Amino acid sequence: MSRAVLYRVAGLVAVVILLALPLASAELDGLGPLVFNSYFMHLAITAFFYAILASSWSLLAGYAGQFSFGHMAFMAIGGYTTGLIGKFIRFTTAPTELCADIPLPGNWWLVILNARRVGTIDETCIDMAKTQTLPSGALIIFPPVWASIAMGLVMGATFGLLVGWLVLRLRSAYLALFTIGFSEILRAALSAEIPITEGQSGLELLPLFPSGINLFGQTFSDTSKIPPYYAMLLLFLLVMLLMTWLASSRFGLFIRAIREDEEAAAALGVNIVRYKVLVFVITSALAAAAGALQAHYIGIITPNILIILQMSLVIAMAVIGGLENIYAASVGALVITFALELLRTNIAIGPIRIDMSLWRLVFFGLLLMLTLRFQRNGLLFPLLERLNRAGIAEETVAMRDASN
Amino acid sequence: MACGSLPFARNRMEHAAIFGWALLWFAFWGVVGGVITPQIYARKDLEISQASFGGAVIGAALGPFSLLPLWIATPKIDNRMIGVAGALVVGIFITAFALADPDNLCVANGEFVISQLANGIVIGIIYGLMALGLTLIFSILGVVSFAHGEFYMIGGMVTYFMTAEWLPGAPPIVGILASCVVTFSIGYIFERIFLRPLGSGQIERPGEYAILVTFGLAFFLQYFTQALASANPVKAQRFFPFPRTEIPLDSGSLLRTTPGNITILDTISIPNPRFTAALLALIMLAALLWFLYHTWTGKALRAVSQDRQAAAVAGINPNSMNTLAFSLGAMLAGLSGASLVQVFSWLPQVGIPAAARSFVIIVLGGMGSLPGAFLGGLVVGIVEAAGTGCVPDATRAAAYIPAYGMVILTLVLLLKPTGLFGREL
Repeated sequence: MSRAVLYRVAGLVAVVILLALPLASAELDGLGPLVFNSYFMHLAITAFFYAILASSWSLLAGYAGQFSFGHMAFMAIGGYTTGLIGKFIRFTTAPTELCADIPLPGNWWLVILNARRVGTIDETCIDMAKTQTLPSGALIIFPPVWASIAMGLVMGATFGLLVGWLVLRLRSAYLALFTIGFSEILRAALSAEIPITEGQSGLELLPLFPSGINLFGQTFSDTSKIPPYYAMLLLFLLVMLLMTWLASSRFGLFIRAIREDEEAAAALGVNIVRYKVLVFVITSALAAAAGALQAHYIGIITPNILIILQMSLVIAMAVIGGLENIYAASVGALVITFALELLRTNIAIGPIRIDMSLWRLVFFGLLLMLTLRFQRNGLLFPLLERLNRAGIAEETVAMRDASN
Repeated sequence: MACGSLPFARNRMEHAAIFGWALLWFAFWGVVGGVITPQIYARKDLEISQASFGGAVIGAALGPFSLLPLWIATPKIDNRMIGVAGALVVGIFITAFALADPDNLCVANGEFVISQLANGIVIGIIYGLMALGLTLIFSILGVVSFAHGEFYMIGGMVTYFMTAEWLPGAPPIVGILASCVVTFSIGYIFERIFLRPLGSGQIERPGEYAILVTFGLAFFLQYFTQALASANPVKAQRFFPFPRTEIPLDSGSLLRTTPGNITILDTISIPNPRFTAALLALIMLAALLWFLYHTWTGKALRAVSQDRQAAAVAGINPNSMNTLAFSLGAMLAGLSGASLVQVFSWLPQVGIPAAARSFVIIVLGGMGSLPGAFLGGLVVGIVEAAGTGCVPDATRAAAYIPAYGMVILTLVLLLKPTGLFGREL
């Protein structure tokens, strides 16, 4: 069996296991002795979320050599875009006359709500319109969740284009410098503009499937973990497919050529700025999509998703798994998400209590540095290498025997 | 950035339109000048290295009245011309602001302006010292250290714990020296283990490796400190309370000091902790300059930053200079942290905005330029002071302090990525 086939079979088995995993969840009464509670399902969803971020960051950093510390900022842009759309936009069947009404074809109106003041009892214009101007029986509906998630993706790509265009013409250190500042600013702005973003108290979002969903003949409520599991898994698989295709196409060759030697790539006719910006836009959009989906799943989004810790974790996942391989990075993310949760328990050695919620982060920081220094391609690399080289010795012996 | 301009967009200005139109004027003619000038210069076969930046500044200054003569006469754009135009832009900006908001403290109250300016310079000196460490590391190792903010944080933490917890009542100088030793040692050990292989060719793509490994160090140090010191804010006592004096002794004094404050000429009022911190920073700066220009090791450092190979031929070991530069840079960050721990309350997270500010400063000053870092520190200090003092909505103004630096960074990256004193990229 050739190695390519082996990898495909292994990948297929992994996908099937991931698809079948909810069958063993407590909601569906488990599979015999195997029962995953809803906490486990939640972890799995979070793990896919981080896997999307880590693998898209590895495409940006490991393949294209562009080190952005703003990946979480784009994730937050996605989440806040969909959140703000849900907060400020409604569709109605009659003009409200109190909000900003934009007529749409088919006797519908797109209504933009006003920002509420903080600290006083202050109704939104749609609440006032319900009692005052709207005729009874007029429908008020939220924008569909999938559409606002798509808008989040578009906003992520737009900001990615702006930042990329500004910074990617310069040396790679500038991108790192600028994006770290960009995400700090975004955090400051999201915390300060309380009338719009609700600041630290967080912006609430609709659940992913507001009125529940029917999957395989079974109805799931809006608090069930199984539909979000499949939504996030689907996004993860789509992202991996897209990135696999990108990495194996000319595009992948070009960005790796840029990473190795910009001047040489430019001399051979690669438009380096265009490809650098393009890979930045694509990965930013993917991060934004993951952020939007996760925000709807969690139901609330706060500026704290932008603290440097989150970015550091994504980097640690990608590096420890393997920066130059999107699969290794995603496996790293899956493993580390669970490992971080397992290590949360505090330890008491005699009178000394060790607060593991901090020391586990210290441990991962150290592991990140040591991995970079001594096992540059990630801790999975020796395994991959062994798989890749398996059978080579036998082949050599066989060739020697054949020639004798 | 769009986010950066938000505090200007929503405020209680009286005639906001004037200010808005002035900004629009700058933006429009700046873009016109920046885009068209290089094309005109290129068509006439003139040097275009400065044309884009110069054109943008000259365009923003007087719009068509300065651009048309420039395009017709096409003189050589030198630094003096850009300087004059830049001063004009700043002048018009301030005038527009004054016209738009005549009741603002920044416009109506001259003493407030001078005081704010002095405070900006004082804090800018300390920012400059911190950025100096970063630029020193960059000029010799060619590495931007993303752990710089953590050295700053550790410097402050060690000073606080030394003077307040471990040796209560110890003179502040003990704390400052301890913070020097600690940050220098961490820098030394880290450089020896993690950055030494950079020069030896053992590591592929050293630039990327350096970015990631210093970022990893920052992550590690931040949570290590938090695990040891907890996340509660701490603040050191002021180092040197002033004696209560007045010079001359009658009223209307030139210089008046109380334990917590110093007042010069009855107008410039600087809180004691900031004043001491700036004084400390100036002493460090003098010591650093003396070290760099008057000792063999300092000269060797500068030689390595100019030309590695030539320095090696002359008998300087570039590897040990790398170690020295990194540890010294870390120590400078630690020192600025040590002198600021009496000014701000200290958390394991304080390093991040400080590091972001240092990045702004070294890009503004030109990566690797020592005078640039110091001047950049002053500029950022003044802009932050002006931002906090002049933006009408005070709570918002405080929340956006880091944004002022980012506005500068964006402008520099757009207009002159090499910074004020930078080498060509």
